[in-house]
Amino acid sequence: MTTPRPTPPHRVATTVTTLVVPLLLVLVTVVVALSWTPRLPDPLAVHWDAAMQPDGFGSLKDMVAIPVLFAPLFAVGMWALAFWVGRDTMTRRLAAGSAVGLTVLMSVVVLGSLSVQLDLADAADAPGIGHVTAWAFAGGLLAGVLAGLLVPRDAPMPSSAPVDPAAPRTALADGERAAWSRTTTSRAGGWVGGVAVLVNVVLAVAMRTPSLLIVAGALGLLLATMLVVRVSVDARGLVARSPLGWPTVRVPLDEVVAARAVRIDPFGEFGGWGYRIGHGGRAGFVLRKGEGIEVERTGGRVLVVTVDDAATGAALLNTLADRARSAATSG
Amino acid sequence: MLFRIDPGSDDPLYAQLAAQVRTAVARNELRTGERLPSARELATSLDVNLHTVLHAYQELRDEGLIELRRGRGAVVTGHAAPDLKELHAAVDALAATARRLRVAPETVTTLVKEALR
Repeated sequence: MTTPRPTPPHRVATTVTTLVVPLLLVLVTVVVALSWTPRLPDPLAVHWDAAMQPDGFGSLKDMVAIPVLFAPLFAVGMWALAFWVGRDTMTRRLAAGSAVGLTVLMSVVVLGSLSVQLDLADAADAPGIGHVTAWAFAGGLLAGVLAGLLVPRDAPMPSSAPVDPAAPRTALADGERAAWSRTTTSRAGGWVGGVAVLVNVVLAVAMRTPSLLIVAGALGLLLATMLVVRVSVDARGLVARSPLGWPTVRVPLDEVVAARAVRIDPFGEFGGWGYRIGHGGRAGFVLRKGEGIEVERTGGRVLVVTVDDAATGAALLNTLADRARSAATSG
Repeated sequence: MLFRIDPGSDDPLYAQLAAQVRTAVARNELRTGERLPSARELATSLDVNLHTVLHAYQELRDEGLIELRRGRGAVVTGHAAPDLKELHAAVDALAATARRLRVAPETVTTLVKEALR
């Protein structure tokens, strides 16, 4: 039985944060760049080598081509994702955050590398843009986080309909309390990520570039959010959270339609590891191939999380949701 | 793992929790290095007093089944899971005999408890 899934909420907010804001940012970037034309050398330095010497030259058109073409295309893609399948808050947050973040990063790179060339006679004298790159990454990250925070949350969507009777259950005596908890760690991801962080640290020391340590640190933090997840099921519902506390996904008992144990293939279904959005807007923590819990929620949302002993967790979630509903109807 | 407590049972709550961890380790459902939820998390989850969970965890630590680490919760230790195949076989045999002789389960557990003293 497939009931039509409701359309994602907050479509106006999604359009503003994920499409209008990035497009305005690109527009502002182009207008500012054009207004600087009289003060810029011709040709311009458009590329710098590893020693921060300009080694590629071109016109203003070459300089703004990438942000003008790529950033709007990316924003449109993110907007389409959030607009059509962004039924849960996290999907809309990630879409808005990456669209705005990437646009700010590109705008700062373009305007920053133009600003160092203002009033130069010859672009070959242009100074390095190491600080511009640093500002671009920091600005992009900050803007992305801000945009994500501006995205409105899902309103609570409690259901009084019974949980799917075909879904698995746990036998619990009246008055008996139960809780289930399990941690998933991505071993393969841990190795790959650990090596990447190590390479960064070694490069930072060998090349005497302390800024690479920041990259290593940022990568480590990112991995902490992507490689470990603790899943628990109790009287408050299901909670899946990374050790840093973000991302965290909660499914209250009154929003459970049905929970099941499923097989999950990160690459086949989600295109990779981490917090992922897959076909049809199924979203969640996909850390390794194998068993996981799939929770069908109200509002057409589907959460997945890879975890061992998924059958026990899913069955307990259904049973506790049954209990909460019968308590709500009788009380 | 699945923790369950029955406030209606005669066994104290901490003993119910500890018994479940022991069983899970003996059945190899909990493997070495597996992390149990922190005492605070588990107490909130089951809506019991924090000291109830701490009492259970301390008992398990004293038995060498888990290690308690500050801020990291409880971790199942390596030497905790001896091969219990022989014991499982003996328990199965005991259960079969008890059923054949129609001895009540309570009587059997009392006999086992006394024998282990």
